Amino acid sequence: MVSRSLPLLALAGAALAAGCGGAAHPQRTVARAPYGTAGFRSYAQARAAMAAAVRAEDGTGPELGPLPARAFARPVARYRAYAGRQADAMERDVAALGRALASGDRVGARAAWSRAYGRYLRIGAAYGALGDLDVAIDGTPGHLTRGVRDPRFSGLHRIERGLWRGATLASLAPWTARLARDVRTLRRVVRRVEIAPLDYATRAHEILEDAQRDMLSGRAAPWSGAGLQATADSLAATRAVIDTLRPLLDGRGDTLPPIDTELLLFGRALERVRRAHGGRWPALDAMTRVEHEHVDGALGALLEALAAVPGTLETRLPPKIPSIASQERRG
Amino acid sequence: MSLDRRAFLLRSAAVLGTGGVASATTLAAGAGADAAPSAGPGLATRIPFDGPHQAGILTPKPAHATFAALDAIAPDRAQLAVALQALSARARQLSQGASALPSNDVDAPPADSGTLGTAIAPDALTVTIAFGASLFDDRYGLAKRRPARLTRMEPFANDDLDPARTHGDVLLQICAGQRDTVVHTLRELMRPLRGALALRWTIDGFESAARSPDPAGSRRNLFGFRDGTANPEVADRALMDRLIWVQAGGGEPDWTGGGSYVVVRTIRMHVEFWDRVGLREQENMIGRARDTGAPLGGAGEHQDPRYDVDPKGERIPLDAHIRLANPRTPKTAGQRMLRRGYNYHRGFDAAGQLDQGLVFVAFNQDPERQFATVQRRLDAEPMVDYVTPVGGGYFFAPPGSKRAGDWVGSGLFAA
Repeated sequence: MVSRSLPLLALAGAALAAGCGGAAHPQRTVARAPYGTAGFRSYAQARAAMAAAVRAEDGTGPELGPLPARAFARPVARYRAYAGRQADAMERDVAALGRALASGDRVGARAAWSRAYGRYLRIGAAYGALGDLDVAIDGTPGHLTRGVRDPRFSGLHRIERGLWRGATLASLAPWTARLARDVRTLRRVVRRVEIAPLDYATRAHEILEDAQRDMLSGRAAPWSGAGLQATADSLAATRAVIDTLRPLLDGRGDTLPPIDTELLLFGRALERVRRAHGGRWPALDAMTRVEHEHVDGALGALLEALAAVPGTLETRLPPKIPSIASQERRG
Repeated sequence: MSLDRRAFLLRSAAVLGTGGVASATTLAAGAGADAAPSAGPGLATRIPFDGPHQAGILTPKPAHATFAALDAIAPDRAQLAVALQALSARARQLSQGASALPSNDVDAPPADSGTLGTAIAPDALTVTIAFGASLFDDRYGLAKRRPARLTRMEPFANDDLDPARTHGDVLLQICAGQRDTVVHTLRELMRPLRGALALRWTIDGFESAARSPDPAGSRRNLFGFRDGTANPEVADRALMDRLIWVQAGGGEPDWTGGGSYVVVRTIRMHVEFWDRVGLREQENMIGRARDTGAPLGGAGEHQDPRYDVDPKGERIPLDAHIRLANPRTPKTAGQRMLRRGYNYHRGFDAAGQLDQGLVFVAFNQDPERQFATVQRRLDAEPMVDYVTPVGGGYFFAPPGSKRAGDWVGSGLFAA
């Protein structure tokens, strides 16, 4: 008991010292939008002001100049190295899964599966960066004509369904072998993945948007009930991304302090649930309503803070939209 | 058989009787407690039920709707036909306005719920009836008369269809100016259907209010954008014959002429996520400005987007929703369909996120040539992250009932 809570306190203490002014109960703040519309007399005037990046009469307006694209080189490089390490660990977890299946150990297989799935989520790969490989590894059958019986349904969730719905362990061996091959590809691909600055900045909130939309709703891992654990892994991936972006975010507007506050509060909300369930992540349907409300709500607040990241880290002023008339004249 | 039960059957027969025949509750003599609706033109608006085409297709959209998919449980074809006859009769009666004064027998359950009072105002009510592919299986011997292009809706690339909220043997689209009219109508229509048709899924819809200074401005969907801007013109009869109405003889069974295929898609919108996306990104995903609805770079909602002067998508991205849905080329002109959808809002999901979105409804002459072709183009749009289709189905709306005494679907069951 005591040894488990000490590291948590140390973590909390470090976070508090780092950003939150030492308050025992961090205050929520509301991040100001980079472009305020207060003071504009009409929507059209606000849009014109944004396009021209000028200050409005009362001093509101964009305060932040755009970042150069090269500012993202180091954060993305650090992310690729981090993602590569997660993929390496995932390969080991999939191998362990294969061994558990071969020795007829369903309980061990489920545990190995959970670790492998969590590792994949810790990569934080989202939004087309991995394309078909993502579907092969993490796809769900909702869009397939024959659903769970469709031969195109493969990867982690095919295996998940078998492990939790009583398929024979032997029948899952070929799917696990295929997953192992895909993870070998993943280890290569993820270290070289090209991510545009805007896409990377968007990842800061989209990893957890996925969690709220798909994992906490039960859609992403419907048979194991692993949505809460998946969300915790998504939080880890988000922390990794934010840590790479910290040098860029520091001092730019007031985007970072609310993020740190909400990361802390959300982490605590998750930990409270895990402690209440004996140190293990409960299945979604084992959580109480109050636990759901706290986790869902804290995640929502964190997402509101994270949503400011793409705008804060823009690399260009909003480009002026050419008018139809000007294109007619040109063409 | 007791006296009471005989009397009940007689009364039921009267209520089920063909429209226009006075029943125990339709005599309008004298005033009831709510006799003459004193509200404005809205409640008095009457859309004819009978005609070559069903009402509720070209009809302007009123504020409220409910969609009810039903499964046939009738023991045989004859009883299914009786139920569908009663359905049309009751729908005609409600949509044309009726008196709901109580009968003489105060011990009898009233023939109408009374939720709209003693005078049922028409309130622009339309009831549009459509059949799903499953009705044409081997249960009722209808397989040989299936509309040629009616199939079971297969999931598209980003769908997550819930079987419990998808498909159905029969679809009812009930639209009216007031919400209580719509709720009353579904409840009353179910009465003659008991034992023949059972509810499979329902969803309520609402139209956003007219808030634009421009009376021709389209209403907004729950992404905050105007929706329905580029609908084909319903007053253009030749166009409707090319895009909406099935033509008798075009490879279709005779009874389908004047009908139309109804595509319904219940599309969940992830609105909390959407609300955290930058405005410019939203507008680029749609292809229009959010405030005016103008195509990006344009000034007014109904302006042509002029993709021809924007070949590289520097103004309206090549994968913007409106550009993929309707590229406005001669080749894609035949893919346009008549959209008549409603917003929906129905609670929240297991992650505490609002369950709201769009009941997409489109009328097509050929769902494969039109809807499915367009949807496959849209499978690659960036907006897919913010929406999840979860239900709906493909249905066929038969031609209209020709007159009082006729009923929607009579051609299908004709010997």
